[in-house]
Amino acid sequence: MPLRLRAAIVSLVLLAVFLGAWHLATRSTGTAASMSPEYARLMGLTATQGKSAMPGPLDVGAKLWEHLKRPFYDNGPNDKGLGIQLAYSIGRVGLGYLIAVVVAIPLGFLIGMSPLISKALDPFIQVLKPISPLAWMPLALYTIKDSSVSAIFVIFICSVWPMLLNTAFGVAGVRKEWINVARTLEVGTVRRAFTVILPAAAPTILTGMRISIGIAWLVIVAAEMLVGGTGIGYFVWNEWNNLSITNVIIAILLIGIVGMLLDQVLARITRLVTFPE
Amino acid sequence: MTDRFISIEAIARRYPAAGGGSTTIFENLWLSMARGEFGCVIGHSGCGKTTVLNILAGLDEPSEGTVIVDGQAIDGTSLDRAVIFQSHALLPWRTVLGNVAYAVSSKWRKWDRARVKAHAQKFIDLVGLAGAEHKYPSELSGGMKQRVGIARALSITPKIMLMDEPFSALDALTRGTLQDEVRRICLETGQTTFMITHDVDEAIFLADKIFLMTNGPGAVLAEIVENPLPKERGRIDLHRHPYYYALRNHIVDFLVSRSRSFASDVTDRDPRHVPTVRPGVGEPVIVSPPRVVDPNPAQSAAR
Amino acid sequence: MGRSMSTFDDPFDADRELTRSACVCGRHRSTAEHEHAERVLRCEPVAVSEEQRYEGVVASAVMRAVFPQDAARRAFLKSVGASTALAALSQFFPLKSATEAFADAGPPEKKDLKVGFIPITCATPIIMAAPLGFYARQGLNVEVVKTAGWAVIRDKTINKEYDAAHMLAPMPIAISLGLGANAIPFTVPAIENINGQGITLAIKHKDKRDPKDWKGMKFAIPFDYSMHNYLLRYYLAEHGLDPDTDVQLRSVPPPEMVANLRADNIDGFLAPDNICQRAIYDGVGFLHILSKEIWDGHPCCSFAASREFITTAPNSFAALTRAIVDATGHAAKAENRKQIAEAIAPANYINAPVTVLEQVLTGTYADGLGGVKTDARRVDFDPFPWQSFAVWMLTQMKRWGQIKGDVDYKAVAEQVYLATDTRKVMAEMGLTPPATSYKSFAVMGKTFDPEKPDDYLAGFKIRKSS
Repeated sequence: MPLRLRAAIVSLVLLAVFLGAWHLATRSTGTAASMSPEYARLMGLTATQGKSAMPGPLDVGAKLWEHLKRPFYDNGPNDKGLGIQLAYSIGRVGLGYLIAVVVAIPLGFLIGMSPLISKALDPFIQVLKPISPLAWMPLALYTIKDSSVSAIFVIFICSVWPMLLNTAFGVAGVRKEWINVARTLEVGTVRRAFTVILPAAAPTILTGMRISIGIAWLVIVAAEMLVGGTGIGYFVWNEWNNLSITNVIIAILLIGIVGMLLDQVLARITRLVTFPE
Repeated sequence: MTDRFISIEAIARRYPAAGGGSTTIFENLWLSMARGEFGCVIGHSGCGKTTVLNILAGLDEPSEGTVIVDGQAIDGTSLDRAVIFQSHALLPWRTVLGNVAYAVSSKWRKWDRARVKAHAQKFIDLVGLAGAEHKYPSELSGGMKQRVGIARALSITPKIMLMDEPFSALDALTRGTLQDEVRRICLETGQTTFMITHDVDEAIFLADKIFLMTNGPGAVLAEIVENPLPKERGRIDLHRHPYYYALRNHIVDFLVSRSRSFASDVTDRDPRHVPTVRPGVGEPVIVSPPRVVDPNPAQSAAR
Repeated sequence: MGRSMSTFDDPFDADRELTRSACVCGRHRSTAEHEHAERVLRCEPVAVSEEQRYEGVVASAVMRAVFPQDAARRAFLKSVGASTALAALSQFFPLKSATEAFADAGPPEKKDLKVGFIPITCATPIIMAAPLGFYARQGLNVEVVKTAGWAVIRDKTINKEYDAAHMLAPMPIAISLGLGANAIPFTVPAIENINGQGITLAIKHKDKRDPKDWKGMKFAIPFDYSMHNYLLRYYLAEHGLDPDTDVQLRSVPPPEMVANLRADNIDGFLAPDNICQRAIYDGVGFLHILSKEIWDGHPCCSFAASREFITTAPNSFAALTRAIVDATGHAAKAENRKQIAEAIAPANYINAPVTVLEQVLTGTYADGLGGVKTDARRVDFDPFPWQSFAVWMLTQMKRWGQIKGDVDYKAVAEQVYLATDTRKVMAEMGLTPPATSYKSFAVMGKTFDPEKPDDYLAGFKIRKSS
């Protein structure tokens, strides 16, 4: 049996074991305190039927199916389908990330190519880099005065560092001989940047971009939980508000899947620009 | 001034030393080559030969002095001077054709793709890589990579080809084949070539003139050895030539002992007029007496 | 204090006086004339057109002018019937044009407005005004936006993302004073709700009903500048516990309170409803007391806007205030509460089970210990922003060290709590607002005199030593 198939079987078995354990752990205990019917009518299922506060896999599956059937409904500003919420989040991540690319790559080039600028900016980068993106949130809200722009700013600020550092590192690390090839061919600075430095540093830059998109996706969920409005993070918060753990689990699942897809897209692009030596 | 196609005049290269002051790699170095000549620099590591080549290429700048090529002082790199790097320096994200075409399109910016491709293909064929145009460097053997490097250098039809130990990383068999190719091409195209090597046999086979440099720091050009072997020479029977051993011994002798003691042995050296020797049967013959401006009329005749 | 709903009374009800008394809206009469008159003039915003209602207001004013004596007016109405009275009045007073003059406050400068809210039942008027059309009736297109927490709603309102917002009643005071943020003049044109909070304890404490046994317990409150904070501290202090040293108080976002209670991270909370009822519904807590048992008629949440909004868009602000006052009036009626519970339960609004909201709004609720209790005024709605409320809050802010030094109670209260403006708006709407902006009230039996805040403050033994 090929390894892939065997691995797939093991994965499925693990999943089945997990779901089974989950199902057993969240079964109704069946016993409930005796209460008058009038009182019971006013109480939730956890109180009346001893139902576990944690939903079982069947509850989650049924709810997931419900969401998948109508992913794009719009019941007003505070209640939209999961598809719309995800689109908002991806849109925010995309925009903040794009701005970060536009800033980080040229700046990274500059830092990578100029030891002076590299040394001059280093202390700032070292201080700014380890700041948790969410720590920027109050400052962003206060100065930008717009929560969705603030969320985009937070995405920007968190995705910019890995890209900036990797670009600088990649550019500074371009082999001297490749630069020399371009020099002996009298290739101008701009053309050299695009035809030699960029392709040479691309794998490193893409690695930075891949790290960034992962962080950006982690952060958007948290940021949307903070500022609310729209997005998958807001959905989590809204369902948490309603103590609907089922929906929270569904959101977690979707966040994971979208995060994985984003990572895969970047991984694929990285493979495209990576060259064997 | 055709016989001074390349003229290196009084160049020096110094680096700042650790405790202030500076370390001199070499200074007051004079060297000249005629058009179509194949010159080889031999010396131990650290004698600054790569620095000389880089200065010639324009990749490095001399601390003092100038280099004149074809009647003009050089300023930086130029498409007139192509470099073949020791590590071949191919762009790994480009195919064979892409690497050569990159050089071609750099020289002739206005050419369309088809023309660039056709021109590049011509040089790929010349180095015997037809059929491998679409391979990436990582798919090529070391020898093939260096062929690409040669094709790339030749494709821009430079006035001078500068080779920095181009074959040192290759196995003996490949090295031999490539030396044959390079000699064939240089003879066919009349290419002026300046090469660095520490392989004595390579120098003997390829060079018209061999420049011997003493050990650094403070390296100097000790003497110029004119190759007495006939222009039509084969790598296979080279060692059968009567002058071969005299020439080889002279060079090896220099490298083994004289390169170290040269500075203390020779005190009346005039860096502008380095003696030219022509080793043959018996003692080497000094062809150019000191203080003659034009060092080598015989060289022109040999062409 | 009588029922606070006098502002929504029907001036043509022969059985009542034109002074503040119980609301009789919804009572059906036997005579056809009266039914007609009621349908026309009843302060039933959903059923009656704007113009008709203003007609009633003007008519009421004219009636009052013609028959200053309540007895005489009642006799007149009884003898001729309301419709006839109205027709008779229109003979010598052009009611129609007067009505138009009242209603015509000028078109709103800004029609598309955003109003933030926190998903709790305190926000009921703000929320329900959207699905039930109260904003639309004022010519406004209002988007009510659910917001993640009090600090966020504050920042978004300060940043002008929201034109107005649902805030805890002390927040606009805190913002105006620059507590916890830069000082920005904020105003409260309307109180959202009165009562409607409760102290919920974890089930395991069901035998610890005496607060004296609560030493060392951990309680959650929604925000530092909240009535919840002040009421809980007051309650604890009255029972001899120093809230700063004897128990732990934590600011916890309301939705997380139930989860924290379930996880045993806190022992109880004084929280807004539906959170209290939700804890009961999920079987993790029981209701110790309703907040009205501490202070019946206490304000909780407010409808707040920056002073800048009022100056730049006075007509929009007035329209918004009218809509909120209307919605508050609608919410105040017991018979509307079930419908409201259904309207605000969906995910777009509060996002909670309808049963929970119904229990909160109708006042028939499970107490978490197996009993069903009924208190129709568990939560109530009265828009009038009594300045004495603000003064009381200021005394508590001082008591617990949120304000240091002296404070001009009345100046702050009058700056923030727009009793005068609201009175004007309400009068224009034909409601009968209270004539004064200050009233005395009792908190746990202790009377508060808004004229003597410092004496009141001095009367507390337990307070933060400054």
